[in-house]
Amino acid sequence: MTVVDPQQAAPPRAEHARTWRRYLRFFGPRGAADLDDELRFHVEMRVGEYMACGMTEAEARAATAHRLGNLATARETCVAITTRRERRMTRTQLIDHFVHDMRFAVRSLGRNKGWTAVAILTLAVGIGANSAMFSVVNHLLLNPLSYPNADRIAALFLVPTEGAPKDQLVMVTPDAKLVEAWRDNARSLEALEPYATTDVLLERGAGTPALARVGRIRPSFGAFAGQRPIVGRLFTDQEATDGVNVGLLAEGTWRARFGADRALVGGTLRVNGTPVTIIGVMPDALALPRTNDGDVDLWMPIDPVRDEIHMRLVARLSPGVLPDAAQRELDAIAAGAQTSAVVQAGYNAKLMAPAEMVSFKDSLVLLSAAVALVLLIACANVMHLLLARAAARQRELAIRSALGAGTGRLFRQLLTESLLLSFAGCLGGIVVGWAALRALVAARPQALADLASVRMDGSTLLLTAAIAVATGLLFGVTGAIHAARHSTNEALKAGALATSGSRRRGRARSLLVVSEMALCTVLLVSAGLLLRSVSHLRHKDIGFDPRGLYTLEPRLPAERYTSAAAKVAFRSELVKRVRAMPGVDALTLASAAPLSTTYLLGALQRDGDPDPPAGTTALISYNSVASNYFTVMGIRIVQGTNFTDTTAAGAQAIVNEGMAQQLWPDGSAIGRRVRVVYGGSGDWKTIVGVAANASTVGVTRDANVPMLYGAHDDASFFSPALLVRASGGAPVVQALTGIAAAVDPLLPPPRVQAVEDAMRSTMARPRFTMLLLGIFAAVAVALAAVGLYGVLAYNVAQRTREIGIRMALGASRRRVAREILSQGLLMVVLGAVAGLVAARLGTKLLAHTLYGVQQTDPLAFAGGTAVLIVIAVLACVVPVRRALAVDPQIAMRAD
Amino acid sequence: MADQSTEFLKGTLDLMILKTLSWAPAHGYGIARWIEQCTDDILTVEEGSLYPALYRMEDAGLIVADWGISENNRRAKFYRLTTAGKKQLRASHDYWARFATAVSRVLETSPRSA
Repeated sequence: MTVVDPQQAAPPRAEHARTWRRYLRFFGPRGAADLDDELRFHVEMRVGEYMACGMTEAEARAATAHRLGNLATARETCVAITTRRERRMTRTQLIDHFVHDMRFAVRSLGRNKGWTAVAILTLAVGIGANSAMFSVVNHLLLNPLSYPNADRIAALFLVPTEGAPKDQLVMVTPDAKLVEAWRDNARSLEALEPYATTDVLLERGAGTPALARVGRIRPSFGAFAGQRPIVGRLFTDQEATDGVNVGLLAEGTWRARFGADRALVGGTLRVNGTPVTIIGVMPDALALPRTNDGDVDLWMPIDPVRDEIHMRLVARLSPGVLPDAAQRELDAIAAGAQTSAVVQAGYNAKLMAPAEMVSFKDSLVLLSAAVALVLLIACANVMHLLLARAAARQRELAIRSALGAGTGRLFRQLLTESLLLSFAGCLGGIVVGWAALRALVAARPQALADLASVRMDGSTLLLTAAIAVATGLLFGVTGAIHAARHSTNEALKAGALATSGSRRRGRARSLLVVSEMALCTVLLVSAGLLLRSVSHLRHKDIGFDPRGLYTLEPRLPAERYTSAAAKVAFRSELVKRVRAMPGVDALTLASAAPLSTTYLLGALQRDGDPDPPAGTTALISYNSVASNYFTVMGIRIVQGTNFTDTTAAGAQAIVNEGMAQQLWPDGSAIGRRVRVVYGGSGDWKTIVGVAANASTVGVTRDANVPMLYGAHDDASFFSPALLVRASGGAPVVQALTGIAAAVDPLLPPPRVQAVEDAMRSTMARPRFTMLLLGIFAAVAVALAAVGLYGVLAYNVAQRTREIGIRMALGASRRRVAREILSQGLLMVVLGAVAGLVAARLGTKLLAHTLYGVQQTDPLAFAGGTAVLIVIAVLACVVPVRRALAVDPQIAMRAD
Repeated sequence: MADQSTEFLKGTLDLMILKTLSWAPAHGYGIARWIEQCTDDILTVEEGSLYPALYRMEDAGLIVADWGISENNRRAKFYRLTTAGKKQLRASHDYWARFATAVSRVLETSPRSA
């Protein structure tokens, strides 16, 4: 072989490289396959070289194989290098693209400031409303307790075998012995804690006594609730059993009322006059399980016997045990435990999660559903905006795609934009939600005290972010699908008219409007139903006259008023003084003053009925009243007479219309006999009168619930409240509050309420629900109207030329207007029809929230639809007017 | 010589590849043939070392590869120098020249003449 001068040798050729390069780039790098191609080429070249030297092909191949040897190791090395390199490049490329997409998105959203602001605001409203609502639901229903393993916490009580009167949750607490039996034997319960609250007068030294709430607990309650004293110690089991007077202050009370005085720990406070040694301070985080147990000021040991009447139970289920199974075990233990009380026989144990006891759970579920609909409408609106924008950007996308941007790349771009948009909406939503929550908490009616502690927390923020991501993906994907449907060519060819969007896109937008209208109809009809319900409650005949009526319930501390005689003596003195008060017109006594209920336990037996089987127990609404009760309350006796004011009254009873109808549907109740059988016995009473139904427990309660009235006498089990009819307003409340202290200065202030105010507050929940749902419906309608307006205005703008031509050809303005209007109204009507069907199904959620109104109330359905149509027509006016203002000459010259 | 033709000093293959590519882009076979022809087949380029070397250098950014059409109209992967590759070639070239001179001096100088 000759020596070749490198300077003169022909360099390897590469002129065609460029063509191939562009073509192959398109498919991206292919690592191992490329390498194999390269090696195969090398082999072929070698074979060619040998053949050129005169070998046959077979010889050449053999020689090549011999020369190359085993290339496996080399191949492996090369593949490893390539793979590493490709991975690195993909990563950098992704980051590059992301940064680029973000920058592009910010620029492109910034270019259309108005558009972006509307989209972000719409999302912020939708997301904000949801995050505020979720905060409430999360706090009250999902995480009502801060106890360890809160998901296994349940209230434990007894329910009569025959149940309680409709709509009333009555918790019967078992006696102390059964609680002990459960504590000792129930394996399905990890822990069982009895607790009680009492209101007391608390004073330090010679200071002025003030009302305070004592929480009575066992020492183990601290561990149960996961709290320890921040100062001092908790009382011991021994102290609790021995009834030593020791207590721990709650931190808030300690700081606010006693200036966080450490010297107090070890000192004494007087509770209803009795000295109690303070041994520590408990953090405020220690709370009783139910929100209406109230804030405790002082923690003291519970005395299972003395506190039996106020006692409540809270349990923690053992891991993996279902409430049903636990209830069965508790029932079995109750049946086996030979406790003295007959009580156990007629009851079943009932475990109830704290969330189920939230008074307005139904409203919360309803409102959550409503707020989700608002979010849907907000999303639909943003989708409109995006579609309109997509139409406007079709040319831009087409050009970019023609310049070589791949479908994936464009898709990512659209997705980045919509995610950016929804994250901005999410941030706005957090602000809106925070503000809404503040407003909600501030505006809460007193009756909904549970709302006070609601805050936005981590899980709310998480949910908000999740909504943002979901909406962002939704928008991005739908936008991209739309973009993909429109071919590049079409868009480019169509020139300026390309922005007119296809019929399909128009249909998608109309469909969005129709669904918005449907969702709005559901909300409007629901709001209408609630409005009707509240209006029904406001005008409902409650059966008695609450005006100028006051109740006075003294709180007699069990420690000092041990005998019935002492109580009776106190009461007669109190009655005497109240009667002497100026402005007092009348006074009566009742065990169940308005807004409270008392029950008799047992089975109701009519004259002639067989004896009820042993062990059947029901709660019978019962009111033990003085004979002037009906007159003072203003309840009519519709049949028969009032109690005769003699000793005979003890054997007499009065029933309300509800009970008369239930027990003697075919005839008069007068003269019939009934008795309440409890533990196998009960005295017969003769019915002397039928009283009109009265909603004394609150306007939302059904007045038709059967009620039995008995005549009050001082030996009765019930200690009655005083019912006073007086003129004078607020001063009466003050005077009544002071009067108990005049009789006994050591008494905690009595419960005094103006019945009219109290009755009104029972409307707080339905009214608040209605108000919130009304706000949601208003927001929804406003959003939907904007959506409808947007679609019509867009269509008019798009058809300006067409309208111009038609007008020039002689179409009347009226006809053009009618066409635009009917296009809008068609969407509204379709939406309303779909919405009415949905509302018919959806209003089932309202079942527990409606009073005196059918779920199918035609007025609410018609009213909701009417409001929708009126607002929709208003939304159509501007686009129609714009269409009418089209000047054919100008319109036709455009483009 | 055949026995020694496979022996490459560390780094010399890289240098020869860079030098070959400094004339024009080339595919792997082209590079091997060029080196063999230049050295009159004294040096045989082992495919087992050539390709890993090419991939390593590509990874290091000294050369880049593109697919193109070879002189006999076949698809082939062509390598060409990058700016970094050219710089590296200059540096190695100078170093190698000094090294080779030094080696030949040692080989050619006898003790007496020193």
